[in-house]
Amino acid sequence: MHQISEEYLDTDVLIIGGGTAGCLAAVEIREKSPKTEVLIIDKGHIDRSGCLAGGMNAINAYLNRNETPDTFTRFVRADNMGLVREDLVKTQAELFEYCVKKVESWGLPIKKGEDGKYLPRGRWNIQINGESIKPIIASAARRAGAKVLNWVCATNFILDEDRVCGAFAFSIRQNTFYVIRAKAVIIATGGAAGLYRPNNPHDAQHKTWYSPFNNGAGYAMGIRAGAEMTSYEMRYIALRTKDVIAPTGTIALGVNAPYVNGRGEPFMEIRWKEYGGDRAATPIRAYAPILEIKEGRGPVYLDTRHLDREGVRKLKEAFLDMYPGQVLYWIANELDPGEHPVEVQLTEPYIVGGHCQSGYWVDIDRQTTLSGLYAAGDVAGGAPYKFISGCWAEGVIAGRAALKSIREEKSFGQGKVESKTEFDRVYSPLFRYDPRQMYLVPPYDFETRIQKILEEYAGGASTFFEMNEERLVVARKHLSLLPGQYSYLCAKDLHELMLCQEVINRVDVARVLVEHLIFRKETRWPGYQTRLDYPARDDENWLKFVNSTYDAVSDKITLLTRPYEQILDGDRYHG
Amino acid sequence: MPVYVDNNKCDGCKASKNPPCVRLCPGDLLYKDFTTNKAVLRDKAECWDCYACVKPCPQDALEIKLSYQIGFFSASLRPEILSDEKIGWSAVDTKGKVERFEIITKYIPVPVDEPESEEFVDSGATI
Repeated sequence: MHQISEEYLDTDVLIIGGGTAGCLAAVEIREKSPKTEVLIIDKGHIDRSGCLAGGMNAINAYLNRNETPDTFTRFVRADNMGLVREDLVKTQAELFEYCVKKVESWGLPIKKGEDGKYLPRGRWNIQINGESIKPIIASAARRAGAKVLNWVCATNFILDEDRVCGAFAFSIRQNTFYVIRAKAVIIATGGAAGLYRPNNPHDAQHKTWYSPFNNGAGYAMGIRAGAEMTSYEMRYIALRTKDVIAPTGTIALGVNAPYVNGRGEPFMEIRWKEYGGDRAATPIRAYAPILEIKEGRGPVYLDTRHLDREGVRKLKEAFLDMYPGQVLYWIANELDPGEHPVEVQLTEPYIVGGHCQSGYWVDIDRQTTLSGLYAAGDVAGGAPYKFISGCWAEGVIAGRAALKSIREEKSFGQGKVESKTEFDRVYSPLFRYDPRQMYLVPPYDFETRIQKILEEYAGGASTFFEMNEERLVVARKHLSLLPGQYSYLCAKDLHELMLCQEVINRVDVARVLVEHLIFRKETRWPGYQTRLDYPARDDENWLKFVNSTYDAVSDKITLLTRPYEQILDGDRYHG
Repeated sequence: MPVYVDNNKCDGCKASKNPPCVRLCPGDLLYKDFTTNKAVLRDKAECWDCYACVKPCPQDALEIKLSYQIGFFSASLRPEILSDEKIGWSAVDTKGKVERFEIITKYIPVPVDEPESEEFVDSGATI
């Protein structure tokens, strides 16, 4: 029998998730107000947790020479088919310089040209040697005096009406349940992978582009607490290298490789010229290859055969800084990018606010619809094209806003949820575990069930990511039965207990996702959200955000729309 | 695309209770078996191939291999921390041809043992 102890902690600001956004939020708060206590909790060790564990070779949202927050915002608007929160995109862009300079001062090597300026890689990108980008920002958070609790997994917010006043969490390394009170909370847990069937089966199922450990915890906690969410229907389906699912910007932008199909045709320039060809909006660059394959012109490649030996070597070095598996793949398959074009494919659909715009509906301070709760990074909605620097910027914005709020609000809220209820909910799969009992479900099986439903009925890879209402309704029906099965979930240890929480999170995210997909009756983002029953874009009726709230008492998801506000003039479809 | 532990090299970081690979896996996938004194991967299928465990291993005992469905034997790719400012990589292809890389970085040394985290004071509050 497990003896679980309970610990009660108080802090001024609680940051859930010590990643890209969370670390920058912590530093910003501590620098502006050294007396303010900041506690970061992370389910991993912040030195290598989350998306940046393997490193990064570029900062993909930066204002190179002659670019401004306005030109960036116009570009991002066009890249996302004319619908973004321009206020959010612009405010993050205003902080790119501040954040990049700051992280460079912590030691991040940024490549420079002969003029001493950062070395561009495409319009909005600069090159870095970021193998250690994560330990660099984690060290800065610690040096700034943030307290860190590693291997502590948040499960739910502590609520006082609609005010968030802390979070429940449990350790995956010791038998400790945490009740953490805070005057302000910043959620920065990243997006969600593992919702759809993964690209590779068996022992390569976590060979994903997005961190497979990002399970939508922050989304799910917000959903369960009744926070308003936006744009889940804008799934991110990434064009990535075949099999190892490595980022393609390193190839397309890094070495200017054109897209070609199986016949050697530059299909983007032939069929998608008016959309920008090889530089078309990101959803189009996902949709066009899908069509090439579907219509019998696959495989699809990025053509790297113009590279000389030195060019190939530089390309390999760029991947070693971020995604070493790509280099291993080439040498394990007798592929040389100088001789063979690099085959690409589409990924399982992810839900992320940093590439797309699914997440919390936030105001310009990144405050969510729940008071006391701020969202930053992939978990925050409305502002795509964040990537690393935008997540940093949102961490800074949320940190500043949280600090301002606790100067005004000095008390702790009084949480209504009894810790006993949450304790029982969290630990029941562990207490239930019994190897002699036949009717128990390990989290792996549960996860596969979710993935099967979404894959087959909600636009998975095997159906070219396309969907129609009748199939989505079947997904809704199947998903609705899953919460009734939680009482069979079992965990043989604390690691599996974490996985149990993660599948529960995935169910909550999946249910909201399907409602959003059903609700938007147009195809706004081809490839990401291809509605066979509403194949056209419909600006007259759908140039607006699809949002939702969940009510835990009635188990009901309510959909609503929020207007789009055009702040910057100009053509919304060309940036 | 799992990480493999070379049991001829792994010494469990001797007396360490929490060796670097166990600390730094972002998915909590490695643990130390105190009976055999070796690091163990919980499940091949869960590894993300991020090299977070490989880079700081003092015994050079961890290696990422492609799942066989994705890549042939016996290609290998191994990092080596050359200094705080340089990381090396050795790539050996299926024919045994070796290619070496040296890349600038800002590596923060990882101690075998990390000091116990600071004490957190239980507020004693009841909610």
